[in-house]
Amino acid sequence: MRSRIAIFALAALTVMAAATAQTPGRKIDFPVDSPLTAVSSDWSETRATPRGGAFVLDVHAVLSLRNSSQRRIRGVTLAVLAQEVTPGGKGSVSVPSLDVGPGEAFPLRIDLTLLCPLGGPMVEVKLDGVLFDDLTFYGSDKLHSRRTMTVWELEARRDRKYFKTLLETAGGAGLQKEILSNIDRQRDRPSAGVQMVRSRSTNTDPERELQFAFLHMPDSPVDPTGGTARIAGNEARAPHINIQNRSDRAVQHLEMGWIVKDQQGREFLAASIPSDVSLGPGKSSQVTQDTALRFSERTQIDSMTGFVSSVEYADGSYWIPTRGELNDPKLRAVIAPSPEEQRLLQIYRKKGLGGLIEELKKF
Amino acid sequence: MKQHVKETDLALYASGDLRLWQRAAVHLHVRQCASCRERVEEFRADARMLREAAAKLPEGLDWARLASEMTANIHVGLAAGECVSPRGRAGRLHKSIPAVWRPVALASFVAAMLVVLLAGGWWLNMPSQDTRVLSRAMRSIWHGRTAIEERGPAIEASSEGIELRKDGGSLGVSQDAAQLVTVSVSTQGSASANYVDQDTGQVTITSVYAQ
Repeated sequence: MRSRIAIFALAALTVMAAATAQTPGRKIDFPVDSPLTAVSSDWSETRATPRGGAFVLDVHAVLSLRNSSQRRIRGVTLAVLAQEVTPGGKGSVSVPSLDVGPGEAFPLRIDLTLLCPLGGPMVEVKLDGVLFDDLTFYGSDKLHSRRTMTVWELEARRDRKYFKTLLETAGGAGLQKEILSNIDRQRDRPSAGVQMVRSRSTNTDPERELQFAFLHMPDSPVDPTGGTARIAGNEARAPHINIQNRSDRAVQHLEMGWIVKDQQGREFLAASIPSDVSLGPGKSSQVTQDTALRFSERTQIDSMTGFVSSVEYADGSYWIPTRGELNDPKLRAVIAPSPEEQRLLQIYRKKGLGGLIEELKKF
Repeated sequence: MKQHVKETDLALYASGDLRLWQRAAVHLHVRQCASCRERVEEFRADARMLREAAAKLPEGLDWARLASEMTANIHVGLAAGECVSPRGRAGRLHKSIPAVWRPVALASFVAAMLVVLLAGGWWLNMPSQDTRVLSRAMRSIWHGRTAIEERGPAIEASSEGIELRKDGGSLGVSQDAAQLVTVSVSTQGSASANYVDQDTGQVTITSVYAQ
């Protein structure tokens, strides 16, 4: 009998814990001249639960947004804020590979966990940016969404063109073979848990300096010429890479991929290294980051490889690798498909080859 | 009469969760033992009451989480019940305690139950991720390394998604309705997770920021 009392008491505690969750306030704050209008929103699954001196906001919402501009929308980024300054109070949701015409509506799902101070939990959704089909941009761009969405859109155009060309030259069977190969590669792509910490190493293992190897892309305007990182056990920190602008245009931003190979021979993409630079034609510079990457206890870093994944010129135009350059066996094994390729692969899974060809014909 | 069946086995038998070969043995015993039969009926009545109580729970509960918490609670409750009063031995135990010590024993029992209840309440409200911090620290000690306290938040990406960790707590991202395809970490202090809607193929990229 007493054990039954214990069971019921604990069950009551469970129900009480669930009951302490409350619905936070919410606000969709788009500018007056925004090209997006919120048509409806469903926040019914959003909850705020007190934890220590703060609220944990489990934000689960579905917004229906309408394109109120005269241009087609290709991408949207929303900032989701519970508090702007403190870590844990800010997140974002982006939807690339859109094709939303004037007056059309589309759904956008938000799933995030945020922290906010005690006293009136509140979640606010702001528009960070909208990318149009002519690559023009609207928004505050506080999260640098212009750059990321432009790169996604350029990758989308590159990948659609590649698949359409394949369809024309190799027919449906050739396209299907490529898609199935990409699905297999996506399934087999290695991934390892990685933790990124700013500014310092977190253990006292003896440290050594490890040289980067580089994958050189023939068309890349920026070439890495050398670099190192500090390695201590399962941690790599403070990457330092020398770069040279071999184009005739100034470069203001670049992003590099950081591939790590462990002592078991497993290779995976550990992180990206974005960097603002001021790199005139033919000039050299350095990319340094005061960060540490920590892998699982079993991962002992054996070697590292770097490659340039995107470049932004000072005039606002971009360079991204071609499909041919991405066909390097090392890159093919570790790089994730672009968001557009992920979308097309899912359309193939759901609707088959006919559905995929139909989708490619839309563009 | 042979020895009574264990309390936990009776509970599992009542809910139909006992292994096949054990179920047959318990079934035979219960048919002959009025005490155990009565206990099984009590467990079944408890299950009915729980089902009725569940029907009155508020809407919007995370059922998967609640189910795992309830299962764990039941294990805790059964373990506590066994510690406190195995049936049949309770009377002997009571008689074996001198009358002068019985109030002390009763107070100890109440205190123990209170500790179990408080620990249960704390445990229910503790984020499961927090235990990872403790386990990491224990692993560091086990491997002979001296962990240096981290300054500032850490961003983590794994095959399960992305998380922001700070002060022992963690904030994650999960989209139950969509499939996680990729995660990525930027050395400038953010992590992103790409989810693909299974029906439409629409890709949603959710990011968390360390600053």
